[in-house]
Amino acid sequence: MRQSYAWRSLLIAGLLAFVGVSIVLQILRIQNSPEAAIFRVQAAEYATVLQTFYPERGEIYDRNGHLLAGNKTVYEVGVQLSEVHDPRAVSLAVGAELGLNADTLYGQMMSPPAKMQYMVLANYVDSAKAAALQQLQIATAQKTPSGQFSSLSGLHFTPHPQRSYPEGSLASNVLGFVSREGRGYFGIEEKYNTLLAGTPIQVWVPTDPHKAGDIPRVPDGITLVLTINRDLQAAVEQILDDSLEKYGAAHGTIVVMDPKTGELLALASSPRMDPGQFWNYTSIYKNASEFDRAISMPYEPGSVLKILTMAGALDSGTVTPNTPFLDTGAIMVGGATIHNWDDAAWGPQDMIGCLQHSLNVCLAWVSTQMGANTFYSYMNRFGLGHLTGVDLAGEAAGRLKVPGDADWYPVDLATNAFGQGVSVTPLQLLMAASAIAGDGRMIAPHALYAMVRDGREYKVPPQYAGSPITGTTAQTESQMLAISLEKESSNALIPGYRVAGKTGTAQIPGDYGYEVGATNASFIGWGPVDDPKFMVYVWLERPSASIWGSQTAAPVFALVAQKATILLNIPPDDIRQEIAKP
Amino acid sequence: MQISSLRVNSLVHAYRQAPWRIQRQWLGGFLLAVVGIAMIASLYLDVTAQAAISGRQIQNLAGDIIAIQHNNADAETQLAALNGTAAMEERANRLGYQPVDPTVVQYIVVPGYAAPQPAILAVAPALKPAAPSIAPEYTESLIEWLQRALRTKPAAGLGRQP
Repeated sequence: MRQSYAWRSLLIAGLLAFVGVSIVLQILRIQNSPEAAIFRVQAAEYATVLQTFYPERGEIYDRNGHLLAGNKTVYEVGVQLSEVHDPRAVSLAVGAELGLNADTLYGQMMSPPAKMQYMVLANYVDSAKAAALQQLQIATAQKTPSGQFSSLSGLHFTPHPQRSYPEGSLASNVLGFVSREGRGYFGIEEKYNTLLAGTPIQVWVPTDPHKAGDIPRVPDGITLVLTINRDLQAAVEQILDDSLEKYGAAHGTIVVMDPKTGELLALASSPRMDPGQFWNYTSIYKNASEFDRAISMPYEPGSVLKILTMAGALDSGTVTPNTPFLDTGAIMVGGATIHNWDDAAWGPQDMIGCLQHSLNVCLAWVSTQMGANTFYSYMNRFGLGHLTGVDLAGEAAGRLKVPGDADWYPVDLATNAFGQGVSVTPLQLLMAASAIAGDGRMIAPHALYAMVRDGREYKVPPQYAGSPITGTTAQTESQMLAISLEKESSNALIPGYRVAGKTGTAQIPGDYGYEVGATNASFIGWGPVDDPKFMVYVWLERPSASIWGSQTAAPVFALVAQKATILLNIPPDDIRQEIAKP
Repeated sequence: MQISSLRVNSLVHAYRQAPWRIQRQWLGGFLLAVVGIAMIASLYLDVTAQAAISGRQIQNLAGDIIAIQHNNADAETQLAALNGTAAMEERANRLGYQPVDPTVVQYIVVPGYAAPQPAILAVAPALKPAAPSIAPEYTESLIEWLQRALRTKPAAGLGRQP
């Protein structure tokens, strides 16, 4: 009896062992079969997905924390070709919702390139349009009977960020724009493109959930805080637009800078564009230098440059404010005769009178008294002919001819003294004049106030660009310029604040000498004189209402200065002096 | 007494040499091994399944993070547009406000008043969670535990002082 049990047990054990061994053998056979090799290859294809991780582009704020450039979500709409069961319906739906040609879409889906599995039908689709299409897809799927494919199956939506400018065209000359490929052009967007964009990473991401830890973390681009004051920028742009219309000017530029720190508080240039619609660039600008005239378009500034000539002469001891000069209405330098702007003789003058009446003859005399070496040494120290190094893309250096250059003639010493035959950008002159408005130290202009990274803010310190003159010279000339404006009852004066400045009316050089009847009207000024808080440069190109800077650019300066005092919380001189009393 | 003792000894001897007993010993050992392997396999399967679920959740959460970041950026841009200069000016005009006339502005000296300073956009860094205090034995899979054990096992004869 026991023996028969033993046999049965052995039989069952043997059968079970046989089944077990068979299963193991079958597993081994399947795993090593030719089909298994095919499946392994297929599995390997789906084991990883090549993905490009784009960091979110850093935002740009104004100095008071207002967003000037951010990001918004747009969609890539595409189809997984193997999942599409009704290409006609897909093409019609996409065509209708996104405004594309349905027949073209259908043709693309029916004849895809070899081995293509996923086809992009549209990119940079607005989130509202994408949402409408998604809703249609969901509604279609809900109406589809269970077990059947929806007519819009295979449609996929991939969100990704795109640059957005919530303020429209405001400060567009400073900001620049970003192309669809994510590259910055002009202004801050180009200058700080590397910092803003971050570094895209392209990696094979495992689909195996056990390897989820391998999903890369891409740090976002750095956030930038600009020195720009949004409200002042908007006011300055409005003043510029109104002035262009009022004075019939072709184009114009207004720059407001803090003379102590070099911070650009506002920079307006015409024309402007909405950087969110960057594709309009070619229809607005003929060449790149027009994007921001304040830094990219050197021009002959005319009499505003006299402040540098006078600063050099005062600093070198060539003249003092009281140095007498008898203006006969003409002076010969290098074989050429120089005349005043009105061809008149202004008789006995001192140096304040020379600035007040903007006498070319007087300033030509001053430069000849300085001598070419001294004069050009000062112009060089003021940074003429050199880049300011402003952190905006596309800066031009201008041109200062010096003795020894093939195209320099002795008469240039005289004409350069009153801003002819020398080309500068408005920003170059602002930087040079910051030495006069300040304490003799020249400040480098900049548009970046701070960078924010990993929750920390890194401020950009002011950078000095040398001391071309002494503090005493700076104060002396600042007073001379303020007196000259007051004596002239200039249109640049503003009630309650003492300002200093100088007008400029420059003929425009053409292919055959200077153009007749066309001028560049300019004004450079700052205030309050005893403690400058702002510097303003105004350039109106070819004003038709009046060719004179004193009648066009000077009143524009007054408007900007008045706005600046309010928006920058600068009390009138008497209140400020009262506060300063111990 | 002796007879009974001999009888017991013979029975014990017979019991020890019973073939079915030896078979049962083998079978018991085999079943014990099978049960042990099954337990380890089920444990491993459970840990692997949990790891897979967690991995899938991580993948989904990574996608959610990106989506939320996009939504945040969208919302921030929309808010900026609503508070933009053009929108604010339009709203101010609608409410009857007018641009200030510089000639009527009155300045009052307020002792202790500090002029507004540029905005500080830096936010306090997020608090980092403390290092996990759970021992690795409770978080790692069987394979990971084996790998760690093999890695950290000291070589024979080393690490001991005489």
